[in-house]
Amino acid sequence: MAETLFAPAEPGPFGSPAPVDGAPVPVIELRGVTRIYSSGRLEVAALRGVDLDVWQGDFLAIVGPSGSGKSTMMNIIGCLDRPTAGSYRLGGTPIEQLSDDDLARVRGRAIGFVFQSFNLLPRTSAIENVATPLLYQGVARKDRYARAQAALERLGLGDRMDHEPSELSGGQQQRVAIARALVTEPALILADEPTGNLDSQSGADVITLLHELNDAGTTIVLITHDSDVAVEARRQVHVRDGLLV
Amino acid sequence: MNAFELIRLAISRLSTSRLRAVLTMLGVIIGVGSIVALVAVAQGATSGITDRIQGLGTNLLTVSPGATRSGFTRNAAGSATTLTVEDASAISAVSGVAAVAPELSTQKVVIAGLQNETTSIIGTTPAYLEVRTYTMWQGSFLNQAAVDGSLRVAVIGATTADNLGLDGTSIGQTISVGGIPFQLVGIMQPKGSSGITSQDDEVLIPLTTAQHYFVGTDKVRTISVSVASADQIDTTQSNLTVLLEQRHGTNGTNDDFSITSQAQLLSTFSSITGLLTVLLGGIASISLLVGGIGIMNIMLVSVRERTREIGIRKAIGARNSDILFQFLIEALVLSLLGGLIGILVGVLVSALIGTIAGWGFIFNPFTVVVAVGFSLVVGVVFGVWPARQAARLDPIASLRYE
Repeated sequence: MAETLFAPAEPGPFGSPAPVDGAPVPVIELRGVTRIYSSGRLEVAALRGVDLDVWQGDFLAIVGPSGSGKSTMMNIIGCLDRPTAGSYRLGGTPIEQLSDDDLARVRGRAIGFVFQSFNLLPRTSAIENVATPLLYQGVARKDRYARAQAALERLGLGDRMDHEPSELSGGQQQRVAIARALVTEPALILADEPTGNLDSQSGADVITLLHELNDAGTTIVLITHDSDVAVEARRQVHVRDGLLV
Repeated sequence: MNAFELIRLAISRLSTSRLRAVLTMLGVIIGVGSIVALVAVAQGATSGITDRIQGLGTNLLTVSPGATRSGFTRNAAGSATTLTVEDASAISAVSGVAAVAPELSTQKVVIAGLQNETTSIIGTTPAYLEVRTYTMWQGSFLNQAAVDGSLRVAVIGATTADNLGLDGTSIGQTISVGGIPFQLVGIMQPKGSSGITSQDDEVLIPLTTAQHYFVGTDKVRTISVSVASADQIDTTQSNLTVLLEQRHGTNGTNDDFSITSQAQLLSTFSSITGLLTVLLGGIASISLLVGGIGIMNIMLVSVRERTREIGIRKAIGARNSDILFQFLIEALVLSLLGGLIGILVGVLVSALIGTIAGWGFIFNPFTVVVAVGFSLVVGVVFGVWPARQAARLDPIASLRYE
């Protein structure tokens, strides 16, 4: 156990996607993805065969009311959960067979999460929060802070680096969270209701920020129930009762 | 993540709730502190007792009267007064015996000027000084002429001199012992050994004088025998036994005396103090165990409280083992830090007690090694379970945990 913990991080499964002759590989490729939750004898199908492709540079909104299965989609796309059936390839790498540790590595390297409730580490400075994903990749301390500082400065938080989440406004916290998502240079930013806890001005700022990131080439998947937010994306898919409609 | 990063992370997490960390460590501090302090105290007491026994005299055999019998009841050892001055002179003829000092003792009030004190009055012979390894500070010890002539002369111990306000200028002065005037001829050097009963608080007078004025018999309390060399102790002891059995008409089953050597006393005391050390160490270990359970308790609460933090860490790339080691190392830091503070506290407390009790500062590096080892074990044993709980948390559920 100690070996796997202390060994230098190897290139993740996402590190070098195998180039297919000429044909680009989609960032996300869902095929017949099904997720069934069972508690005792009761089985609930949250997803019932979802097919989805998301390409490099895309800005996709997954829209649906609560209970539609969009949270389950986000968990699976975010490698926090595995499909019960069907296949999921992230950057060409099949996810279903990966171990927990490999999933953790994929989450750390390939995906940047932005949550509705920010989910910053409490009593931890902004720069420390942003540097933490790099900690788990084994990046040296000096590099971690340099990259975290660069990410915070890019989001206009250069003067808030030593503030703890409780000392920041909601909009600032969400920008710290976005900096944390960006700092690993992920292939994909997964934003789950990123404006849900923000006032309209801060929410608009966050959307503008996502546009800027997308314009710079980052692939973004936005999960929301709010059609006003969804229209900001280039493309929308709607989820109802575990199916794309 | 390397070990160094993990330790830094653990310390930074612990320092966000310092009061809790200190309170959690308190159990280990008290446990380790009491182990270190109690073991040091037990060792100090042991060395104090050992010094005292060795201070009694080198190669010393003590002949004491045996127990009396009244009907079928055996009374306490020493209750008989079966040893006589004649026994003492017979003993001095045994081979291997260097010197013999019979002792008659009683308690009397001693008065010097306006000071008075009730203390032991011991009637003895000039050999006492050598047998019991005293040295003179002022004046001279009792001489044979004083014993032969039953002179009313006295030599006093250092503590007695202090208590009565006597010093080097007082030699030749008259003091009152049990109402009878005695001339002070000498004051002895303190033996410097510590203990509950002082060997420096006594008044020595000639044996014959004690018989004449205070006791009225030729029975003696003990006979101290100095053996010529250490390797003769055992043979001398059996020679003495044979001699006294002949003189008293006993045969080993009904001896009315007993002979103890310094080595026997030492081994008796060291077995007692050894038991004491184990007992005290054992009691202290229980408090360390309780301290360890305290750490586990707090770590479990901490895992519950920080469920969301664990979920976040997992979402941004922490593996289960990263979480496991983070919490395990937090527990280890708590227990080790507690252990180190405990060692400091224990050393301070034992130094304080040692200074008060007079055996000085005793520092045993072995205790420290054991204490650190114990705290490490406590940290691992009581840290693993909470850490596993943390590592096994489901990231999705943890992220939603309120």
